[in-house]
Amino acid sequence: MTGLSTDLDFQLSGLERWLLGLLSVPEAPEPPDGSPDSIQVFRAGRKYYLWSVLMWAAAITAVGFVFLSASIPLLAAIGRGSGWVEPLAGAALVALWSVFAGVAGVTFLSRRLNYGLRWYIVTDRSLRIRSGIFQINELTMTYSNIQEIRVTSGPLQQALGIADVEVQAAGGGGDRQHQSGHTGRFSGVSNANEIRDLIVDRLRHYRDSGLGEAAPSQAHGEGGELAAAREALEQARALRAAVTRSLQGS
Amino acid sequence: MTAEPVPAHIASIVRPSPPLWKYYVLRAIASTILFPVTLLLLYLRYHTMRYRFDAEGIHMRWGILLRREVMLNYSRIQDIQLRSNFVERWLGLARIEIQTASGSAGAQMTLEGLLNFVEVRDFLYSRMRGARHAIPAPVTTDSLAGVLSEVAQELRLVRQAIEERRRV
Repeated sequence: MTGLSTDLDFQLSGLERWLLGLLSVPEAPEPPDGSPDSIQVFRAGRKYYLWSVLMWAAAITAVGFVFLSASIPLLAAIGRGSGWVEPLAGAALVALWSVFAGVAGVTFLSRRLNYGLRWYIVTDRSLRIRSGIFQINELTMTYSNIQEIRVTSGPLQQALGIADVEVQAAGGGGDRQHQSGHTGRFSGVSNANEIRDLIVDRLRHYRDSGLGEAAPSQAHGEGGELAAAREALEQARALRAAVTRSLQGS
Repeated sequence: MTAEPVPAHIASIVRPSPPLWKYYVLRAIASTILFPVTLLLLYLRYHTMRYRFDAEGIHMRWGILLRREVMLNYSRIQDIQLRSNFVERWLGLARIEIQTASGSAGAQMTLEGLLNFVEVRDFLYSRMRGARHAIPAPVTTDSLAGVLSEVAQELRLVRQAIEERRRV
């Protein structure tokens, strides 16, 4: 994988490369239009990997208990052991736990790759978020359409110092669990506040952003030079007045 | 709205490409006992699906008995999702899901069966609100107005600093 930015700590194993090839996962996404020096690529934090492994471990333990309770009658059948029942129950037991091992392996691998293959790209005009392995989503959204920004984190995420930054476009419906199209989610970033501030700062330059009424235009556009020059003069006068007052005061 | 002409490679898209039919057959197989019904519905959908990209927006229609036609303006697009599962990727396909500001959670329009989906996505992106006309950056030192604005800003900061110090 040659990518936009590859996490140096995250090395893909041969098996993973093979899997990515099999699923024909495309290379890292192209950044959307915008001035080249404004492009910033964020990745999920290292702790997000730990978090998703913990989530995986919790889920797989729960599944393990289900399998365990299913294998108790099989073990009992082997214990009673009468003729043909014993090998049959043994085979069922082996099959059951192979399925478990398979599920555990595949889900672990997908969790791992899901961490490694996420890109959150921010430019001066828009953002692009790519995530997923089996199902790949690549969202593109311009700042003009952003309605709100939200930073969320659960207790475990807080302990690990990661958070999700959600960027919401107008329109709605849908439950929050199911990723609806109107939301861009920077999952598990370690620098959530930095990302939030960056987006807020860039939004500020889009006076027409969102569906609300446009703010009155400032000293840009037609006759901009004159307006700006007047503003400079006004400020210079105010400065002189302030300095004078300050000198008189001291 | 500036009605610029649509590039030829986008305007020439009127029908979904043949791999979509293969994908629909696989989808019908995946529906097991509903296979005949699903296949029929998807067959009709595939064969009646028409796209039209004009200067203002996209028109999409499909269906025979239940005929649908959706039209949406480029400038009303809120966000664009490019989605693909691995079966679609094997067939070289991806879906472009377009959202507008209406109340539903799902996509308002899903463009299916496009082989040049990246180009179509980039085209749609370029026509979205806020993609083309970049708002002046805070610091533009290559124009008179920009320089003067900066001067004003500098002066403002000096004044604020002095005033704050005076208050202490």
